Amino acid sequence: MSEGSAVYLKERQSGKFVEATLLEGLGRAEVEAAEALWIPFLQDALRQIKDSGIPKEEWPEHSHWDWRQKYEATEGLLAYKMFGIECGSQMQGMMLVTTAGKTCRIASQRGKQLVYVHFLAAAPWNVPSIVTNPRFSLVGSILIAAAIHLSLAEEFSGRIGLHSLPQSDQWYSKGCGMTDLGPDPSIQNLRYFEMTPDQAAEFLK
Amino acid sequence: MAEKRTMTLNLTDAEMNVLDQLSERKEMSKTAVLRQALRLYQMLDARLAQGEKLFFERDLTKEKAELMVI
Repeated sequence: MSEGSAVYLKERQSGKFVEATLLEGLGRAEVEAAEALWIPFLQDALRQIKDSGIPKEEWPEHSHWDWRQKYEATEGLLAYKMFGIECGSQMQGMMLVTTAGKTCRIASQRGKQLVYVHFLAAAPWNVPSIVTNPRFSLVGSILIAAAIHLSLAEEFSGRIGLHSLPQSDQWYSKGCGMTDLGPDPSIQNLRYFEMTPDQAAEFLK
Repeated sequence: MAEKRTMTLNLTDAEMNVLDQLSERKEMSKTAVLRQALRLYQMLDARLAQGEKLFFERDLTKEKAELMVI
């Protein structure tokens, strides 16, 4: 059973902040309920995107992620934790992190533990590359903040790291203020980003 | 935050020295180091139980060495 705390999403249309719940340690039922909503929505949206002739490189990059499979692969393992944001009885975003076995690559932090963000995605109706009028913003920011808070709780001083899909590179560098360590040949040449304790403190301000 | 329980741990001097060193090098409390160790050990145990092997790879040469885990 997950633990919840109050957070606020921004409803894009009205500009108002709406109370939501940040869930830590998602259970099977929560992941399955999220997928039951996300998959049909995504399939419909992808059909429309393809029909409208949008070039393939602009299609959403993480639409193939199977969250149920990710849950099953990490179920019961202390090193992994899944987070979610629930609002209006719907999962608005999910994130899978690990708290063991990953260390910093930035020279000033080299060898120190970090929280590694394996996967982070907003619900398809919140993603600008999927829908014309996304419902909520701040989903990604709240999940990154949750990863930083977990890093602090684990005594990793806020250090986090992740590999970004190309469509998110700008957001992690400019939006989150993470350091871009360039393409990583061992992970499909995805760019690797890290956040130092100072950058984490800045992000949480 | 999940509820925590306390236990007493008996370590030899050598084990305690290693724990002290790791705690200092990683800038983490001894409790945090041991929690890390438990997570890693559980993850390795689960992967090995599925028939997988654990290797270390040298970054430059890509040379691999299998790690024996009891």
